[in-house]
Amino acid sequence: MADKYIQVVQPTDNVATALRALEAGEAVTVAVGDEERTVEVNEDVRFGHKIAIEEVGTGDTVTKYGKSIGNAIERIAPGDWVHVHNVESNYGRGDIAGENRAEAIHE
Amino acid sequence: MSEFLGYERDDGSIGIRNHVPIIATAPYANDTVERAADIVENTIPITHPLGRCQTKPDVFQTYRTLLGYATHPNTYGAVVVAHAGEIVDGDELADDVAETGRPSESVNVHREKGVMNALKATVDAAQGMVRDASAQRRVPADMSNLTFGINCATSDTTSGLCQHKATAGAAWRLIDEHGGRGVFAETPEFFGGERELAERADSQEVEQKILDRVEWWDQRLQATGYDVRGAQPTPDNMDGGLTTIEEKSLGALVKSGDGPIQDIVDYGAKIPDESGMYIMDTPGHGAESVTGIGAGGAHFMIISTGQGHTLSNAVMPTIKITGNPGSAERVPEETDVDVSEALVGEQSFDWATDQLWEEIEEVVNGKLTMSEALGESQFAIHRIGPST
Repeated sequence: MADKYIQVVQPTDNVATALRALEAGEAVTVAVGDEERTVEVNEDVRFGHKIAIEEVGTGDTVTKYGKSIGNAIERIAPGDWVHVHNVESNYGRGDIAGENRAEAIHE
Repeated sequence: MSEFLGYERDDGSIGIRNHVPIIATAPYANDTVERAADIVENTIPITHPLGRCQTKPDVFQTYRTLLGYATHPNTYGAVVVAHAGEIVDGDELADDVAETGRPSESVNVHREKGVMNALKATVDAAQGMVRDASAQRRVPADMSNLTFGINCATSDTTSGLCQHKATAGAAWRLIDEHGGRGVFAETPEFFGGERELAERADSQEVEQKILDRVEWWDQRLQATGYDVRGAQPTPDNMDGGLTTIEEKSLGALVKSGDGPIQDIVDYGAKIPDESGMYIMDTPGHGAESVTGIGAGGAHFMIISTGQGHTLSNAVMPTIKITGNPGSAERVPEETDVDVSEALVGEQSFDWATDQLWEEIEEVVNGKLTMSEALGESQFAIHRIGPST
């Protein structure tokens, strides 16, 4: 049965939010729409933080609420902690202004 | 309940409080204002670093914000304290307050020949005004008069999953069932969800206006040449699990529900009388956005928080709701409503909405919020351009 403490907002999302602390090595089952998916947690994840529920390639869109929340800056494996170390935003980025931004944000 | 007990104003508005703010028009009046408010019970000091050496858009925004507080539905009357002749003029502000039928007094430090005389004049004016205010009685008023302010603070990943749903539920209950208004803000926190938000606009004109404002903020941030990460999401947001401004935004927008948007109004501008949901164009900086919403005339403010926050406003009672069970334990004195039982389905979101709504009913009738009881408040007018 799916763990109610690990929530996927939209079936198209590739991340889930942990509403309890997750421990490296545990297998968790999450509800993705009407289906269930089991992934092994690769590292400890704090309350409120996210894990990947599928592989996300470098540069690919990270999706929550069915929308882009940024792009992966390295390959993210299922069960990886997803946060500022492996995802970057596409807004308010004076440091990369003009570089293919529009393409990335509305996927 | 379709009625509450409020204070009638001559301009037709109805207040849920009967405040007497003492308002500085420039930083050089701040000390006099603070000292007078220390002496006279039940007054609210409104101080800030603005009001002079500003270009026209900022002067207008400062003036409009101060006037918004002086003529807020929850304001009985106001004492305006100026330093000397300034670009934000104290006498003009006091005259504009009087036009709404509210008592108003204008004190000028130079005209009084110094701060001691000015303090005496401010105390005299405020003392008389709070005594008159205390004599006014609450009367039955229709809930359609009320405007519901919405802001989030120290968001985390629970915000969009839980407490924002209760906030949206209560706001739309006021709009749909009682004919009131709602207003939410923080335009840079639309990043990533702006298209869906704009599609909710009641007209194509408003739809374009929303997209244009979001683009303006993004361009403005990009023009700095710096990466905004770390400023948005803030360190406390990131600690709570939010990774990017897009993720913060998509969660933040949940607090506005999914109903139609009537209009997007300028910072500090009055919220229109027509029932419905409005946006105010403000930064994501909570103290600045809440100050703007207060100037727009919202009667009360819901701060929907993840990690807990002291953010509050002196003129608009501020009800804080959280759905993060850890926060309700960490900062109980900042938690008016704890709906964390709805986070993983131990209770429904309708239950959470009811919890918030019941608190709103109490507060509009006079119950103090946690931050009112502690005397907490912040006031920060958003500045557009440079000082000169």
